[in-house]
Amino acid sequence: MIRRNISDEAGARSDGLMIVSVIFIAAFTYIAFTTNPVYTGIGVGDRVPELEGKIYDGTSWTDFDLKENIDQNWKEGDAGTWTMIEFMDTNCGACVQAAPDVADMGNMWLGDNPQRTTPENVTVEFLAVSISLWTEDTAGKSYGKDEIVEFRSEYGHNFAYMDMQDNSHQDDWGGFGTPTYFLVSPNGIIQYATPEAEYGYTVWDAMQENIPRGD
Amino acid sequence: MVAGLECFDNTLLPHLAIFAIGVAMFSPLGESLAIPALRKKWASLETKLGRSFAGMLLICLSGFTVSAHTLWMHNKAQEMGGGSFCTAGSVCDCASVIGNADWNTVPVLGLPWGLLGMLAFAMFMWLIITIAKEPTASWVLNNLKIGTNFGVLGMGVILYLMYAEYDIGKICQFCTTAHVAHVAATVGFFRLSKLYGTSDWATGGSESTVTQTSKERRKRGGYVAPTQISEEE
Repeated sequence: MIRRNISDEAGARSDGLMIVSVIFIAAFTYIAFTTNPVYTGIGVGDRVPELEGKIYDGTSWTDFDLKENIDQNWKEGDAGTWTMIEFMDTNCGACVQAAPDVADMGNMWLGDNPQRTTPENVTVEFLAVSISLWTEDTAGKSYGKDEIVEFRSEYGHNFAYMDMQDNSHQDDWGGFGTPTYFLVSPNGIIQYATPEAEYGYTVWDAMQENIPRGD
Repeated sequence: MVAGLECFDNTLLPHLAIFAIGVAMFSPLGESLAIPALRKKWASLETKLGRSFAGMLLICLSGFTVSAHTLWMHNKAQEMGGGSFCTAGSVCDCASVIGNADWNTVPVLGLPWGLLGMLAFAMFMWLIITIAKEPTASWVLNNLKIGTNFGVLGMGVILYLMYAEYDIGKICQFCTTAHVAHVAATVGFFRLSKLYGTSDWATGGSESTVTQTSKERRKRGGYVAPTQISEEE
C-alpha cells in the first residue's frame, strides 16, 4: 500500500507570512489613517526646504532666513507673508531676458502702493537667489557680490538678492536650471514650482490665483 | 516629578508590558507565567522550547509596536512642521530626536527609522512563527542563522542611532525601547541556536528522522518518494 508523505513545512512558512502581514497591514493602516505627513521637498504641496544666507536689499548685506516668513499654523484669512523665490544666475541668458518682466512684476506686487491689491494683513515678498551655473574660470562668466549688486541695479529690481553662488542650496533644493521660480504660502507649503508646472503656466499666474485680493 | 522618572512616558507602558512578559517567558519565570488556562489553549507552553518561542514572539511584537509608534510620531512631526519645531523636553525628548530632519530617516533610502524597525521586527516574527510551527523542519537552522545574523547587523544600526541621539543631545525613550527589544531578540536567537539540536528542542520528533528527511529532500531536490508500509516495516 502506498502512503502519502505529508509535509506541513511550507504551510508553516506561509502561515507565518500571513500572520505577520496582517499585523503589519493593520499597524500601517492605523498610521495612514491617523497621520497626514507633509514632507520637505521642492514639489507643489511639499514643505519648503531651508533657505538662509546673506541678502542684498539695496543698501547693505544682511542675514536672511526663510523660516522667518513661515508660520506653520497659518490658515487662509490669517495674516502672513507669501514669498516668491527666483533662482537665477547673473550670467544666464534666460535670466537676463526675464529680468525686465521680473522688474515689472516687482512693481505690481511690491512697494507701498502695489498695483495688485492684497488684504491689509497679507504681504508679498520677492527673493532672487543668485546661484552659479558655471565656474568663475569659465571665459565670459563672472561671479561675486559686485555682480549681484550690479545686476540688481541694472534691471531696477526692488527686492532682495541672496548670494548663493557657492551652490550650497543644492543639498536641500537639488540641482536645476535657471530661472526657476517657487511660490511659498505663509505656512511654508510650495504652491508653485517651475520644474513641475504645466507649459505656459507661470509663477505670476499662480500668484494671481493663490494670493487673496484686497478691497 | 520623582527623580529618575522624568523619562517615563505613560504611552510606553503597553510596549514595555509586552516586552516584560516576553522576557519573563524566556526566563525560568516563564514556567509559572504559563498558567494552566494558557497551557490548555497553547499546549506548546508546556515545554521550555514552546515558552522560549512565545517569549521571543512577544519581545519581537513589542519591538514592532514601539517601532510603529515611532513611525506614527515621525509622521506627526512632519505634519507639525518637519524638522523645524522646538519642544520643551529635558534630556529625554522623543520629539527632538524623531523630529530631527538630519537624523530621522535611513541614509540613502530616505525611509523613516520606524518603518525600518517595523520591517525588521516583522521579519523576526515571521522567522519565529515558522520555526515555532515546524521546529523540526529542514530549514529551521537556516532561519535561526538568518535571525542571528540580522540581529548582529542590527546592532550596528543601533550604535549609529545612539550616536545620532548623542549628536542631537537628547534621548528618545521609544527608540531606546525598540533598541532594547532588538538586543533581546538577538540574544534570544543566540539562545535558540544553542538550544537547537538538544533534547529540549526535539520534542516534536526525533532528530534523526528530521535529519534523514532533510537529507533525502536535498538529495532529490525537494521530492521525497512515497514509501510502502511494508518497506518501512
